[in-house]
Order: sequence, then structure tokens, then C-alpha cells
Amino acid sequence: MEIYIKKRDGTREPFNADRINRSIERACKGLSDPISMVTQIATETRLILYDGITTEEMDQATINASVQNIKEDIEYDRVATRLLLKTVYRRVVGEFENKEETLEKMHRDSFTRYVIQGVAEGLLDTRMAEKYNLEKLADCLDLERDELFDYAGLSSLLNRYAVKDKQQQPRETPQYFFMRIAMGLAYNEQDPNAWAKKFYDKMSRLEYVAGGSTNIHAGTPRPALSNCFLLEIHDDIEHIAKSVADVIKLSKASGGIGASITKLRAAGSPLSSNNTTSSGPTPFAKIIDTAIRAVQRGGKKKGALCFYMENWHYDFPEFLDWKHNAGDDYLRMRTANTAVFLSDEFMRRVASGSDWYMFDPKDTPDLNELYGDRFVKRYTEYVGMAEAGKLRIFKKVPAREQFRQILVSLQTTSHPWLTWKDAVNLRALNNNTGTIHMSNLCTEICLPQDKDHIAVCNLASINLATHVHNKEINWSKLESSVRFALRQLDNLIDINVLPVKEAEAGDKENRAIGLGVMGFTDTLEKLGIAYDSDFAADFADRIFEFISYMAIDESANLAQERGSYSHFVGSGWSRGKVPIDTLARLERDRGIPLTVMKESRHKGLNWDVLRQKVTKGMRNATLMAVAPNANIGLVAGTTPGIDPRFAQVFSRNKISGKYLDINHNLVLDLKNMGLWEKVRDEIIEAQGDIEDISDIPEHIKKIYKTSFTTSPFAFIEVAARAQKWVDQALSRNMYLETRDIEETMKIYQTAWEKGVKTTYYLHMKPRHTAEQSTTHVNKAQKMGKKGFAAAFGRQQENHPSAFGGISKLQPSLLVPSKFEGLVPNTFEGLTPTPSIPDPIVLKKETPSPIQQIEVKEAALVGFSSVAKAIQKEDTQAEMQTEFAERSSAPVAVAQHPKLTVEDILAAGANAGPEDPQDQFICDSCQ
Amino acid sequence: MLIGKAQPEDMVLHPIRYQWAYDLYNQAVRNTWFPHEIALKEDLDDWAKMTEDERHAVSFLMAFFNPAELIVNRSIALGMYPYIKAPEAHLYLAKVMWEEANHCVAFEYVLETFPLDRAKVFGIHLEMPSMKAKEDYIFKYLRRMTETILDIETVEGKKDFVRNLVATNIVMEGIWFYSGFMVALSFRQRNQLRNFGSMINWVLRDESLHLKFGINLVHTALEENPDLLTPEFANEIRDIIIEGVELETRYNKDLFPRGILGLNADYVNQYVQYVTDRRLEELGLPKHYNAKNPAKWMSTATDVFELVNFFEAQNTSYEVDGHASGTKKEKVAEAKETE
Repeated sequence: MEIYIKKRDGTREPFNADRINRSIERACKGLSDPISMVTQIATETRLILYDGITTEEMDQATINASVQNIKEDIEYDRVATRLLLKTVYRRVVGEFENKEETLEKMHRDSFTRYVIQGVAEGLLDTRMAEKYNLEKLADCLDLERDELFDYAGLSSLLNRYAVKDKQQQPRETPQYFFMRIAMGLAYNEQDPNAWAKKFYDKMSRLEYVAGGSTNIHAGTPRPALSNCFLLEIHDDIEHIAKSVADVIKLSKASGGIGASITKLRAAGSPLSSNNTTSSGPTPFAKIIDTAIRAVQRGGKKKGALCFYMENWHYDFPEFLDWKHNAGDDYLRMRTANTAVFLSDEFMRRVASGSDWYMFDPKDTPDLNELYGDRFVKRYTEYVGMAEAGKLRIFKKVPAREQFRQILVSLQTTSHPWLTWKDAVNLRALNNNTGTIHMSNLCTEICLPQDKDHIAVCNLASINLATHVHNKEINWSKLESSVRFALRQLDNLIDINVLPVKEAEAGDKENRAIGLGVMGFTDTLEKLGIAYDSDFAADFADRIFEFISYMAIDESANLAQERGSYSHFVGSGWSRGKVPIDTLARLERDRGIPLTVMKESRHKGLNWDVLRQKVTKGMRNATLMAVAPNANIGLVAGTTPGIDPRFAQVFSRNKISGKYLDINHNLVLDLKNMGLWEKVRDEIIEAQGDIEDISDIPEHIKKIYKTSFTTSPFAFIEVAARAQKWVDQALSRNMYLETRDIEETMKIYQTAWEKGVKTTYYLHMKPRHTAEQSTTHVNKAQKMGKKGFAAAFGRQQENHPSAFGGISKLQPSLLVPSKFEGLVPNTFEGLTPTPSIPDPIVLKKETPSPIQQIEVKEAALVGFSSVAKAIQKEDTQAEMQTEFAERSSAPVAVAQHPKLTVEDILAAGANAGPEDPQDQFICDSCQ
Repeated sequence: MLIGKAQPEDMVLHPIRYQWAYDLYNQAVRNTWFPHEIALKEDLDDWAKMTEDERHAVSFLMAFFNPAELIVNRSIALGMYPYIKAPEAHLYLAKVMWEEANHCVAFEYVLETFPLDRAKVFGIHLEMPSMKAKEDYIFKYLRRMTETILDIETVEGKKDFVRNLVATNIVMEGIWFYSGFMVALSFRQRNQLRNFGSMINWVLRDESLHLKFGINLVHTALEENPDLLTPEFANEIRDIIIEGVELETRYNKDLFPRGILGLNADYVNQYVQYVTDRRLEELGLPKHYNAKNPAKWMSTATDVFELVNFFEAQNTSYEVDGHASGTKKEKVAEAKETE
């Protein structure tokens, strides 16, 4: 069939393989094996062509063909990225191939037009043209920095953040994008050009990345640049209605929202206006849950919100059910998330085995405002009143039982997230403006709010990984990144326009910012440190102390240059306190020592000088908050926040697409050892857990653990050590394999004991996943079954041979121990959980030692040495060997009577990576 | 014996003889999900942007899947359940039947939400010869279990059982469904029908277990009834499977009369052959096609753990039985405390 391509102008032209090949060739320039890569991509593109395919689809087809090969070689990532860049360049700066001018020059020259036209069309702020010397800034653009992206990052950047035209196509190249943000945050500088260049250089080198909302809105006529909003819903119908409206408006401004509903009276509580009763928090929360669905944040995704409730609320048990997948839809929140705000009193009652009381907030209105020992005093009084029959309603459960229920819900629905009210409030330096009633959507923000103030936070994250050179942190570069990022964030506040006046008030009065980090694990790997080691905890301690110090120092500098924030007087800062000093207060209030190492790990930072300096003024109420940055981390091509690697290979289900994430550090290490090609299929088969792959050396396995093989206590230790220096909090994702509730309770109690303020999602390791598609799968073989092979009169040599050089099954509950019993003794050490062999099965099935050796050899030698076949009366199965693949012709296979079906299947499992030419062989075979 | 006429002693669960069936039951319960957990608004927006050929493919898939899920149930109820003795297998099959019903309702939910002419979609499987042929094929083997019933205790009766089992479980659920899933997930890969994709992930997770059960069932039946292990019968089973592939090949030509970005009939059929080789090997039969998997991207779609931001997409990896683990321990701990 002749294939025609539909061009952009609607005309048709015959498919020209040459032209496509040349374009792929250009994208493969400078890579290690360009010829075979071009062949591979061209071949696979060819496979999915159809008559009438459009030019855009052709571009996409070559990109997809490259992307699906990334799992074999990360150099394909480079190719995919370049192919994607090419489509952007063509759209933004025009056709550049076969032009006399270089792309660099065209890219530079088009910049002014991009800004001027953008302003004319209302896509960009007029200040973008007025405040700057565009030609001068165009000279600063460095196209080579586009090479820093990987495919998933570039694709997310374009999809999520780039300014789009009416056809939803990007109007900017990545470098224009960075320059837009830099310019959009430097309007008010005395020398806007100089600062725009400085900010641009930092961001375009991926040394720090601004928060999502800033990336979307900076430089546009609607600069809603804040990321997080935290609002209280008060117990009156007017305020509930206003809150629904506020939530909608703030969602539209693309912020994530924390909303506390602790103040809402319980279901059945009397209403004063008439003699009816309240329906409780749930139906009101449901309105908001529905409202956020309606709003497309930044026109791209639906709103996102997290409800916070304190667990002394009478309706807390109902709150725990909000995220369950079954039950009355009107009592469930399908979109909103939930988090619980726990007091130290509760944690102590859990530990001592005491009862926990729940009240109607109508009867106990002050509890929500109190923390520390004042909360304890009042709570105890209410308990007394309850027991004396002086409260209309109350509930009582063993505190431990409620803690267990919380964790059961967390395990099955990943909600509610656990956050600790007293650690948040007692350690706050900004607590002169009221109680902090909640954290935010991502549990890293700790800011107070009241009826007139919606707390607002503005984020950016330092990419630690780009500050590592030759196994060394470049401290001076890190210092300048912190200082520039902080200044950029402070600038943001004066440019920011927010749709709700209470949010404007919260933002302008506090000038709260949250500088975070990303690439923590990436950096550890580059330094050769295991996440679950003392070294990693010490490293976290050291790096956060340094960043904290520089951030505080810079805010104090800015205060001297620009003045302090409105509520500075009376704050902890004004009394010469820095975050580390607040540990003592928390400890004192709890009456129990925090179980975290309290000393410094960074030499040479003089905190006393800084303590003096901050009394003179601070520009910002808060400075640090470590966001999860699941998206900007992806853009920067590094591990998000302080997260571990989810697995060495896994997929990310994102709004912008579904991406395979493969750990480049590991791949490079394995390539250097000459191991990559040998083990890459096994890594996928083992779903990114290299622990049981025998070819990989131990020291590599120690560094590259997955989130489920890393001790959960390591996540807590890293967070606790960082938390010492961070004035707000950290989004601490948790990952667990165990489903033992007792153990889970212990883990979360430890987090509290170490002074961790908040935790975020709990990711449970799935016990069962769908059948894999691209790996070798043979369920019968794993069970040691022969099936119909036995019909062809071969001896019953029933030994599962899959354990030789092949990765094992996930240690899943689904694999009954009986089958493991089938494994010959010599291999027992390799089985996931050594189990007592089933005596009956073993008696019948244990192969002789000689057979075992044969199996082992067959599995180890695999395909390459000898061709094998199963012989049948009328069919001859042709097995393709690696050898045959290389000679690019199917080989008729010799009979090898000693081999069994299992041998062949085992060899199949060991079959080498797919050869680019394979498809042709297969097709021609048929 | 797993297959045969149930006796009074087969009515109690203990002692469990086929632990794998009981384990599957327990995992299946944990996997419970409901269609309404999936929100389809964004998919509707995608739908509006899709080409005619893409829409055709999606509605054609649903036209097949919707009745197919119920046909599987008929086959289980009439062709398998009555001839299986082990109560643990009955437990699992009861859950499977609920799951098939749930899948049917899930596709129904999508059909109700998308702007589709439902009468027309439901009519396709009656009118389209290639789709009708697939259904006829299943009914051909099922009919032998319902109309020309042979004694299950005889070798011929057991062969009929295995034939029906292979047609329904290996071919329909293990090959046809798998090719359908790949097609459905390909949209997700191009960032379309994201939530529909999550639903398909759930369906696929269930079906992976169904298939595990079917393969266990075949192997157990063969082990317990060595009379079935003849080259003739083995070849017949292979032919049944190959026949199913041929029907699928024709069907896929109707699914993709032209092509869409990333997919065409040849591509899907190569995938079908690849999956079929796997199924043949799992039954102890040699590969027939030696086809390579053309859909390398499936490693991203299904082969590795998925990390989800809850506010971006439905997380499909949570399990619902949090109470199961730790309960015992907790009781012990509480008892200690009160002492």
C-alpha cells in the first residue's frame, strides 16, 4: 500500500522515507551508535504509519518510536528530546532546516517578536516590553541549555507551563519560557535587565525552578503566581458560602488549597436560627468537592484541595470514611484529599493507652485555637465536663483504637495524611499572627489564617543535583542559588495578583515564601550514598542547615534594603530566634525529649551572628518549605523533593502523559561496568527492584534501592533532620511494603517522636499487578507445571528452572509457599522467602543433582551458545537465538534431545534484548 | 479432584486443597473497585478532539467488550461452575462473575457518559460479521456443555470442559481481551482518555487473575486426569487457540479499517500473535508465531509500578482490605494492656 502524508496545508504527498531518516539522523548526532538507532527508530515509525497520516502525526510517530526504546538505552531519550525540540523550534521560530542562517541566530532574532506579539495579543504583560531591552536579553539566550532536558521533562514543560496559542500549541521555546519567568519577576528591580539575566541563568541551567503557578502565569497579564492557599471555614452559613466562592476563585488562579473544617459544628448540633439541627461538615465539604471539579486550574486541570480536621471533632469517624471507594456518593469526597491535624495530647494518650474524647465544636469552640499545654488544659476540662454529663454530646474511644483506624484508612485509601498540630505551632516563628489551623494541599506549609486572612505561600525549589560536581557540592554556587531564588520569590509578592482580598491580605502582610529543594536522592546517588544510611541523614542535616542559613541571611539583607514584613515585630525572628532554636520549645512543651540528633553537622556557619542580624528585620515571615515538586522535579529531570526513587524504573501517570522513568545514574553506572545490556530486561521484569539480580554488585544495590526496599525509618530520619532547619515543613511521602498495622503505627509514632511536622501520601506496595506485557511471562513455568508438553512422551523432569539467572517473582502473598517448595534446594537461598518445602511435592519432584547443574547451566549460558528446539511429531518450533538474530536470518533449529521444555522456556526468559531487525525476521517468518 | 460431580464432602471449604484458588479469591477481594470512582469529564473533552477513526476504534472496542463480559459469565455459570468440585474455586468464580458484571457495568457507564448512540453500539456485535464470528466461536464450545452434555466423569466429558475453558479463558480473556486492552491503553499513551485508561488498568488487573486461575485450572485438570494428555488432544487445543487468533485477525481489520496514530490492524495482529505464543507456552505447547512484541511502550503502560499524584489521576493500585492484616496482633496487644 502506498502511503501518503497529509500536509499542514491539506495537500497530500507520498511518504518519503529518506527525508524522515535524515531528520532522525540529525537527532542522533553525537550519540554512541547513531546508525543502529536511526534504523531502529525508522523501522518502528514505519510500523505505525497509515495512509493519510498528517505531518504532525509523523513527527509524533518518530518521537513515540524513540520513546519506547528508552528502556533499552537512555540515549533514545536524547533523540526523543531533540525531535520534540525540533517541532517546537519549527513552530516558534519557523522552518530552520536547510536555511542559511543558523538555528541559534533565528532563535535569538525571534525573541523580540515573541514578546512584542505576545503583548499585542494579550498573552504577555505590557511590562514585558516596556521594562526591558529585548535585544540585549535576546543575546543572553543560550540554546545549548535545551540539551539539559530529558524527554519527560521537556514534554511536561511544554504541556503544562508554556504559553500557548489558540490551537493549544506552545508559543515559546524552553529558553523563552525561562526568560519569560525571569522577566516576569524582575519588573520592580532597579535594573530589571540585569536581574532578569541573573534569574534566567539560574533557572535555565536548572539550578532552581519556580513553582508551578509561577511558571504558568509569570509575565502574563494575569500574574496569579502563588502556589498554596490555606483557608479556614467558619461555623456560619455566610462564611461557608463565601468559602465555596473563594475556593473556586483560588482554584482558577491555579493554586492548591488547604481548607480546615474543624470549626463546623457536628451533625445533629442545634441551630440557633430555628429549632432544626445541622447536617454536619460532610454535606458542606461535598459542595466544595464538587466545586473544585468544575474549575480547570490554569485551564489545564481540575482544582485540588485538602480538607483538614482535628481528630477531637465529633464527626471525625465520618471524616475518616470520606475517601473510601464504596458507600453513599454524597458522603464521599471523590476529588478532595483529607488530612488529620493531631495534637501531642492525642499521641501521648495513644502511648499510654488512655481514652480519646470527641466533642461538638459548638460546645468546645476554643479547642481549635489552642495548642501545646493550653490545649491540654482545656481538653482535660472538657473531658471532665463530658464525664460529668455537662456536654450535650460526646464520644469516647481508646486513643490507640482511633490511631489504628486512622492508619487502616491511610493504608487502604492513602488518606487522611498525618500532620501534627503542636510541632507545627510550637516551632513556628510566625505565630504572633494567630494559630496555624492546618497545613496545605501538599503538607509543607505552616502559616496562620483567620477570617480576614487566607494564608498564601510562594514556592521555588533548588535543584541540588545541578550543584554536584565531581562528587562535591559546589557550596558557593549553592549559596548564590539560594540568594537569587529568595530574591526572586520576594519580588514575586509585589507582582502577584490574587482573586480574593483575604488572600491578598495574607500574602502582602506576611510575604511568606517557601524555598525548597529537589534532587535529594539524585544527589545522594551521585555522591555514592545510600538513602537509608547515617551518611544520608547527616548529609540532609548539613545541606538543610546551609540552605536555611543562606535563606535567612538573604531575607535579613532584603529587609535592610526593602524593609521588614508588616508583622515582623513580635515574631520569633524579632526575638533573635532561628528555626533550630524552636526545637527546645517543642521539647519543653511535650515534656519528652525529641529523639532526633540536635547538633549541627555543618562547620563554619556562625548562627549567633545571624541571630543578631534577624532581630534587625526580616523581609519574609517564612522562608523554607520543601514541596513535593512532582512536576517541576520532572521538568528538571531529577528526583522530586526529598523523595527516594520510587523504583529504578517505573511509570509516571501525569496529566501531560505517561512516562517511563528510568534512573539514569544507575544506567550509567551499569554501562560503565558493562552490565547494562545484560540486566536491563531483568530490571523491568523485577519492576525496577535490582536487589535480586545476581549480576549486579552489592555496592550498587545498596545505593539504588527502591522506595519499598528502603527502610521507612530512613524517610523519617531524613525528614526529621531536615526539619530541624526548616521553618515551615516538608512534604514527606511515605512508602511501605508492610501491611501490619502495629508496625505502621510504630513508624508514624516514631515520626512524631522525632519532631516531624507533617507526612504526605502513604504509597503502599501493590501486592498484585497486572500481567506484564514486554517481559517474558510464563505462569506455568513459575508454578513448575508442564501442561500439554507432557503429552509428547517426554520424561517428567519437573523442575522450575527459572531461578538460574532470572529475577524472581515479587515476594507476593499470591505466590503460595507450596510452589516455592518446588525449587530445588540448591536454589533455595535465592527464593524470596525461604519456606518449608511441601514434603509430598518434593519427594516426587526433586530433580537429581545432575539435573540441577544442567538447569543452572542452561539458564546461565542462555541462548547464545546453542540452538534449542522442542521436537514434536508434526510441528517444529523454531526458536530464535541471539545468534540467529545477529545473522538476521531465522535459523532452523537442531534437535537437542536432552533439553526439556523448561530449559527452552528458561532460555527464552534469558533471551537478549530485542534487535532492531527482529520485526522483519518475524514478519518474514510467517 | 478438581473437576467432576460435586459430592456432599465438597460443600465445605476446609481442608483447602487448592490453595491457589483461595489465594486468588482473597487477592480478588482486595482488588475490588467501582466504575463511579472514575471521573470521565476530561476524557469527554478528549473525545471531542478525536478523529472519526479513533472514535470508531473506541466504540468498536466497547461494542465487543460489553457483551463479551457477559458471555464470559455465561460460560462460567453454565460451562465451568457446575463441573468443578472444589469450594475454594467456587468462591473465586463467584467473585469473577461479580467482576465480569462490574466490567460490563463499567463499560456501560462509559457508554452512557460518552456521546454515543448506544443502540447502534449494542447492535454492532449482532451485525458485524467479524465480531459475530468471535461470539459464535465461544458459543460453539459452550453449547457442548449445555446442550450435548457429556458425563463430566468421562474422558470425553472432561475434554469438552477443557475445550470450553480454553476457548473462554485462554482465547477470549487471555488473548482477545489482551489485545483490546493494548489498543485502549494506547490512547492513554498518547495522553488521551486518561481516566478510561485507569479503568482499563483495573479491568486488566482483574483479568490477569482470571487468567491465572484458568491456567491453574487447565494444569490441575491435566495433572489429575492423565488420560487427557495425548498428542491428539494437545494439538486440538492448539488448533482451538489458532482458530481464535484467526477470528481476531479479521476482527482487527474491522477495528482499524485504516489506521490511527500509533496503531493499525497489522500492528495489533502482531501483538495478538505475540500474546498467543505466550499463552501456548503457558499451556506447555510450542510457540506458533515467534512474533515480537511491537508495543514496547506497554512496559510503561503496564509492566512497572505506577506513581500517581492523587490530584492528577486515579490511583489504581490501592487495595481495600486494610483490616485484614494486623487485626490479630492488635487483639493480642489489647488483651495484654488490660491484664
